[in-house]
Amino acid sequence: MSNLILEGIRLKKTYQLGRASVPVLRDASLQVHEGKWVTILGSSGSGKSTALHLLGGLDRPDKIDGGSVLFKGESIWEQTNRQINQYRNSDIGFVFQFYHLLPELTVLENTVLPAMIGGFGNATEKSRSRGTQLLEQFGLGHRLSHRPRELSGGERQRVAIARALINEPSVLLADEPTGNLDEATGNEILDVLSSLHVEGLTIVLVTHNLDIARRGDSVVHLRHGQIDHPANLAHSGGIAPIQAT
Amino acid sequence: MGDVIVTYGISGLPHYDELIAQLEENSNVLAATPIVDGWGLLRMPYPESEAKQSETVQVWGIEPISFAKVTSYDSSLQWKTPTENQRDWLLLDVITENQELLRDEMQDDDWNELVEVANSASSALNYEDVGLWAAVQQIMSDEQWSRTLALDERLGNPDAILEQGLTLMQNGRDGIVSGLHVSEGNERQKDGTYEVVRHDYWWLPRFDGTLTMLPVDSEGGVIEPESVILPFVNEFQSGVFMIDESRIFVPIHTAQKLLHLDEAQIVDEDDPTEIVGVDPAKATSILIRGVAGISANELEIIVENIYDQFIAGMPFDTTVMPPSRSNPGLTIHTWEEQQRSFTGPVEKERELMRTLFSIVYLVVAALILSIFWSIVYEKTRDIGILRSIGASRGSIVWIFLQYSLVIGVLGSALGLLVGWLITKNINEIHDAMGNPPLGMAIAAFAIAGGITILTIAKSRGGQMLPIVLGILGFATFAGIGALALFIKSIGGLVIWDASVYYFSIIPNNVDWPSSIVTAFGAILFCLIGAVIPAAKAADTDPVKALRHE
Ligand SMILES: Nc1ncnc2c1ncn2[C@@H]1O[C@H](COP(=O)(O)OP(=O)(O)OP(=O)(O)O)[C@@H](O)[C@H]1O
Ligand SMILES: [Mg+2]
Repeated sequence: MSNLILEGIRLKKTYQLGRASVPVLRDASLQVHEGKWVTILGSSGSGKSTALHLLGGLDRPDKIDGGSVLFKGESIWEQTNRQINQYRNSDIGFVFQFYHLLPELTVLENTVLPAMIGGFGNATEKSRSRGTQLLEQFGLGHRLSHRPRELSGGERQRVAIARALINEPSVLLADEPTGNLDEATGNEILDVLSSLHVEGLTIVLVTHNLDIARRGDSVVHLRHGQIDHPANLAHSGGIAPIQAT
Repeated sequence: MGDVIVTYGISGLPHYDELIAQLEENSNVLAATPIVDGWGLLRMPYPESEAKQSETVQVWGIEPISFAKVTSYDSSLQWKTPTENQRDWLLLDVITENQELLRDEMQDDDWNELVEVANSASSALNYEDVGLWAAVQQIMSDEQWSRTLALDERLGNPDAILEQGLTLMQNGRDGIVSGLHVSEGNERQKDGTYEVVRHDYWWLPRFDGTLTMLPVDSEGGVIEPESVILPFVNEFQSGVFMIDESRIFVPIHTAQKLLHLDEAQIVDEDDPTEIVGVDPAKATSILIRGVAGISANELEIIVENIYDQFIAGMPFDTTVMPPSRSNPGLTIHTWEEQQRSFTGPVEKERELMRTLFSIVYLVVAALILSIFWSIVYEKTRDIGILRSIGASRGSIVWIFLQYSLVIGVLGSALGLLVGWLITKNINEIHDAMGNPPLGMAIAAFAIAGGITILTIAKSRGGQMLPIVLGILGFATFAGIGALALFIKSIGGLVIWDASVYYFSIIPNNVDWPSSIVTAFGAILFCLIGAVIPAAKAADTDPVKALRHE
């Protein structure tokens, strides 16, 4: 088996709602190997986004006994702020369900933004041409100077993917990237991801959709705040029915 | 008004010319001038009946030439050259006063014609220009005409009126230069210019006044009042209303005579025929102006030293010694100290305004703070996006710091510019507001009409916004137009009443230190208002910020 690149170990996340504490992740573990496409499958509200946020360094596990996220063997939350910023910036690429593009910036500016942040404010010629290339690859070559609000949902999501890829991350984390799109558009996005995966990109994708889950190399189930042992789709021969938490 | 003032009350300072000579020897002193001041009663030439009006006036006896060096006396004079109409009145006076002379010189036909022209002019001139000048010139022979003009200096020489003001002399007589508001003949117009009532009938005022003052003897008792009849030769406007309504200038020797401060012989107490000495002329104060670059406070010290030397240098056997500096009646003050009782209320008012504006300032500061707060708060989700793609907390705060700095600096600069423009033009704005030009009303109504047409055209589609904006725009401009017409119809509005405030124009100097403090304060509040919420947003975890609606 290839190298382990991203690992979530016994992750716990509890939300505090007033007096009540809501445990969303109880003991979730996940291993992602380099070059693989792992799909996290779970019903709505099962904590998929939460898990992905923890993996992407966008949110912290519980303070006490919350487990850890290891990237290339290093626990990300034990690092300095600067290193966490760099982890978010260039080690991983994050694609949100709701795109999260900056409305004031153009498509191209949105795309090269992580490069600007990583390069201390300078969008170099190199990153601009890479951004342009990515956008062209995603069929958006003619929309470079448009604003996000002028684009359709599918187009926006492709911009978001381009942004996630601009710094050539090791892992792409995608949170229901097709959740807001119709099936045809969703499939286009997934085709993009598939071709990136073919080129060697490691992908962790979150979905509640079985058909989408089939695209990856392996599927894990998230239920009751735990992640079932990774099962090889080919071997399991089927997918267990989705259960509510 | 001079930088430093030496005053020795009612009894007056003897040997003042000696002191002035010593003062002017000092290289820090530009000029010094003596003043004799006191209160008097001025009987005005109006009304035409026997019961003439009297004004209480503050009389300043001055030496006009040195006085003009210490003060801006020359530029404060109101009348530079007579208008044609004023000249006609002068000509009419000359003809009236020299009837006998003219009659003897002229042929009967011409004389009769002159009488007719002069008589009709004397009533018509009260209402309109009559062109008396040309008419009389036509009647008279050239020689006759030039002889007539020679009867009053002001007829032949257009600069004579100003010269007479500068010398306080008219045709060999001492004269009065009175504050512009002493005479009721001058009426201030809405635009700040002056018009003389009855079509210049009471110009200057045109006839002599009687000035009465009360001299005080060495024991402080009042002696017989003294009077003198003087022509009015010019008028002055200092810009300070209280001065303009009560002060008159006369030659210093006139004031000295009226107040018995002129040179007098001292006679033996037992034998009044034996002269034992001379009581020198006295001045009640001396105004001193320093050279450029020397402050009033510095000059005050210099003057004090010179004064001490002046006393020390007095010959031992001087009959009337000037007071030493230990005499409580003698004061040496800067002009500002001298004017404290007068500027005091203004200062108080300024303080009040400052307090008031400090409160306004705080309110505005809170407003800036909250506006920026909400601008940045709105951006919380975007901050979450930036954080989630690796932006550091510091860089987020930096972005908003720059943003607020640019807004703050631009806003403050714009504010300073607009404030400066308004302040510099406040008198013009005041006049325009008090007396709006008709064009303004017409323009406002035209715009209101244009908006109405535009609104009707735009509202075809049934949208609400153009209708709402149209109604608001119409109401605003029609309101402005109506207000302008209303103000016009009631004959204008005087917001700044010179008799309530001390100055006849609105002071318009910019208080730069306060302006700059205000501008920097505004920038600071922008920064604070932006940085606090930005820092708060930067500190929240990206996911929480992203969830922000
Ligand atoms: N900040 C929060 N505060 C309180 N509860 C939260 C918070 N974020 C998530 N939750 C709760 O945690 C649970 C899991 O949320 P999460 O967004 O991870 O689910 P999900 O599996 O991604 O669902 P979906 O498929 O609808 O996106 C939900 O019940 C949600 O209400
Ligand atoms: Mg989710």
